[in-house]
Amino acid sequence: MLRRAGPSLRHFLLERNSSAGHSSYSREAKMSRPVQARRLEGIDKNIWVEFVKLAATYSKVNLGQGFPDFPAPDFLREALTRTLSGGNHMLHQYTRAFGHPPLVKVLAQFFEKLLGRDLDPMTNVMVTVGAYQALFCCFQALVDEGDEVIIIEPFFDCYEPMVKMAGGTPVFVPLRPNPPKDGKLMSSADWQLDPAELASKFSERTKAIVLNSPNNPLGKVFSRGELELIAELCVKHDVLCISDEVYEWLVFDGKQHTRIASLQGMWERTVIIGSAGKTFSATGWKVGWVVGPDRLLQHLRTVHQNSVYHCATIAQEAVAQGFQRELMLYGKPESYFVQLPKELQQKRDWLVQSLDGVGMKPIIPEGTYFLVADISPFKSDVPDDPNSDEPYDSRFAKWMVKNKVKGSGPSCSFYPGWVCAHPSSGWGTWSSPTLGHSRLQPAPEQHPQLHMLPLPRALLPSRSPLSTARPTRTTTPISSGSALQR
Amino acid sequence: MFLASRNFCCRGIQLRTDLLSRSIKHSTSATMPFRHKNTRRIEGLDSNVWVEFTKVAADPSIVNLGQGLPDISPPSYVKEELAKVAAVDRLNQYTRGFGHPSLVKALSQVYEKVCGRKIDPLTDILVTVGAYGSLFSTIQALIEEGDEVIIIEPFYDCYEPMVKMAGAKPVFIPLRCINDGNSASSADWVLDPAELANKFNSKTKAIILNTPHNPIGKVFTLEELQVIADLCIKHDTLCISDEVYEWLVYKGNKHIKIATLPGMWERTVTIGSAGKTYSVTGWKEALAQAFWVDYKRMDHPDCYFYSLSRELESKRDRMAQLLKGAGLKPVIPDGGYFMIVDVSTLNVDLSDVDEKQPYDYKFVKWMIASKKLSAIPLSAFCGLETKKQFERYIRFCFIKKDSTLDAAEVILKNWNKQTG
Repeated sequence: MLRRAGPSLRHFLLERNSSAGHSSYSREAKMSRPVQARRLEGIDKNIWVEFVKLAATYSKVNLGQGFPDFPAPDFLREALTRTLSGGNHMLHQYTRAFGHPPLVKVLAQFFEKLLGRDLDPMTNVMVTVGAYQALFCCFQALVDEGDEVIIIEPFFDCYEPMVKMAGGTPVFVPLRPNPPKDGKLMSSADWQLDPAELASKFSERTKAIVLNSPNNPLGKVFSRGELELIAELCVKHDVLCISDEVYEWLVFDGKQHTRIASLQGMWERTVIIGSAGKTFSATGWKVGWVVGPDRLLQHLRTVHQNSVYHCATIAQEAVAQGFQRELMLYGKPESYFVQLPKELQQKRDWLVQSLDGVGMKPIIPEGTYFLVADISPFKSDVPDDPNSDEPYDSRFAKWMVKNKVKGSGPSCSFYPGWVCAHPSSGWGTWSSPTLGHSRLQPAPEQHPQLHMLPLPRALLPSRSPLSTARPTRTTTPISSGSALQR
Repeated sequence: MFLASRNFCCRGIQLRTDLLSRSIKHSTSATMPFRHKNTRRIEGLDSNVWVEFTKVAADPSIVNLGQGLPDISPPSYVKEELAKVAAVDRLNQYTRGFGHPSLVKALSQVYEKVCGRKIDPLTDILVTVGAYGSLFSTIQALIEEGDEVIIIEPFYDCYEPMVKMAGAKPVFIPLRCINDGNSASSADWVLDPAELANKFNSKTKAIILNTPHNPIGKVFTLEELQVIADLCIKHDTLCISDEVYEWLVYKGNKHIKIATLPGMWERTVTIGSAGKTYSVTGWKEALAQAFWVDYKRMDHPDCYFYSLSRELESKRDRMAQLLKGAGLKPVIPDGGYFMIVDVSTLNVDLSDVDEKQPYDYKFVKWMIASKKLSAIPLSAFCGLETKKQFERYIRFCFIKKDSTLDAAEVILKNWNKQTG
């Protein structure tokens, strides 16, 4: 395998016959071989790095990256303050590498309840630096060169590069929209896997499938039936399941979040991933966890102890206290896990209404705080450009910022989003503004600030016809488009 | 641990066959095939000295001078800053992925002063989850299958598994005591330049340098760093410089950053740690404000970067006295907060302990059980071939509050009163 040329350091000294010794080194002295490891090939671009910077430049209103701009709950911040000012100064030092004992204990108690099985906090739970590191440990511990990993589209962007970094091959299978016949707005539930298509993705090289429910960006909450379908295939093909459930508490309309690990045959082959950042609206704390059988978690522990080893003690202590409170209030109206989805559901409903009013077609999410909307009605305002390399939604977003959202309101920022391209109906690209924005209050005379979220081409499903083709549907002019300027 | 999992897999197959004929409702796991084991990259990396010894030393009746964590309080302004920060809403959410802006700016200011060169906070600095995270990122980013990485022994234990996880081969070179084992100072432990030069070849991708050194406490001199730098440049090798103890340098010694030597900036990644700088090993978080406080007083003696090392110097000296009094031979460190001690002088006979572990592992376990004092065996910091050379040493950590050292004093003073 040829080493990628890449940016290289070319070494002058070996070629020069300098008698001046060390002082003749050029500031531009380069290495004669590639510096970076091959495992980084093709994964250096990152949507968040690109767009967070852009948003920081342009925007005052950020509905892109998935984090709340309302405060983390008081009880959580009080827990942190108590921890800081308390007498136990050893909380500023290393704690148990695989998870601060009070936190793993309360997580075990919580998940015992939810999964209906006994859990050992020391072997069935591990704390990580955010769910991100949990994902990283899973791929590094369980995916070898040549393994295939099934990823359901649309997907949280890091799954693909992490699989590649582990030497694995991502195999994509899309959720496909089945719009209701009555012309009503679609729900994320209308996006489904085709069972035969899914089954065809499993091969003897398939090591794992990544499941994300509730799903980011669609907001889909996989039903029990859908999970059973996936479970059957996992069991049949002896495949692992990496189950990203960071939005497990953000489920609307009284729906149930079913944990695939609780289905028959799945506990022993599933790693569940969770996040305090999403659970407690404190994304900056970077506390996550994995729950699973010891025979899988032991390998994650090996990766963890050879990568970051410990997670911040104080944050873990405060999160543990947060969970202790929730354990006591479980199911009660004062529980944060009851209140937060209730509050977010209202914001969801408002945003759906607003987008619908503007002429976009939102897909009503069953969970999470994301929402995907169809921008193809705006085709006449932002026509295709066959000369442009830039994905449609990216150009759309920039057009929106320049032309549609200005004046007295805060300006849009644009953020990475996801493209769901329906291959056959040519619906075109979609973008997804995010919810959870407390400043987005509908004013009768103003339209909501929308963030169109361009998707870099790299994230387009490669086998979707729309990743290369331009949408073919003709667009209808939108009278409401101009309303955005009000 | 790998061994355990392999046995489990074998037993699993047998179990599967036995249970096939039974129909137990939830025994599907036992009847189903399960071929999953660890990936190749982590093969053999499951055991870990800290996991092993922190468990043993966790008993509160034991005076723990093993793992390198302070039991002294971090400076109060550091804790105050964190309390203030927690109250600001947006600071509870995601920040810039490569480092919180105010922290990278503070770090770039501090290091510009130290290095005497312009440092761009956005491109020349990366904030990581502890120095552990820095080492991991550096090694994963720059080292790959087929590469060789030179590691100086004794070494901080994670270097070896991290290099292996990246698919590369660790090449060891030991520090050797110039006084034939009678060293009194960490400065007596040196690299043999010819031996070092022999370790470099066309496959050598990087050398890992740790100064001030854990566990010996050696602070590499300019001359010693120049020897390493010359070889790096000659062989076009990178330098991964672990300088987490950079501020913990005792009188008469100066910490020099190898990146400041000519030709080295462009091939060196320097690693630092707020946990070690501010005695908050459990944080791994932004400490921008604390850095600003100390940056502003970098020219004053009461800057925490300097005051901590003064405080530790007296603890170092006290520890050395106590150990000598007990008949042990400490190696006085020039930097860091560890001290290695030659325990062979005590002639404790552990031959009846039939474990296949090196002498120092057995000694530490014996010491914990019989003296209630814990330390870390030095052979944990060595490659397989040099374990014999280092197994007479154990490592003590002295960044401990006075009451801990008082308790250690009692044990050491009474050492000879019991039969060894």
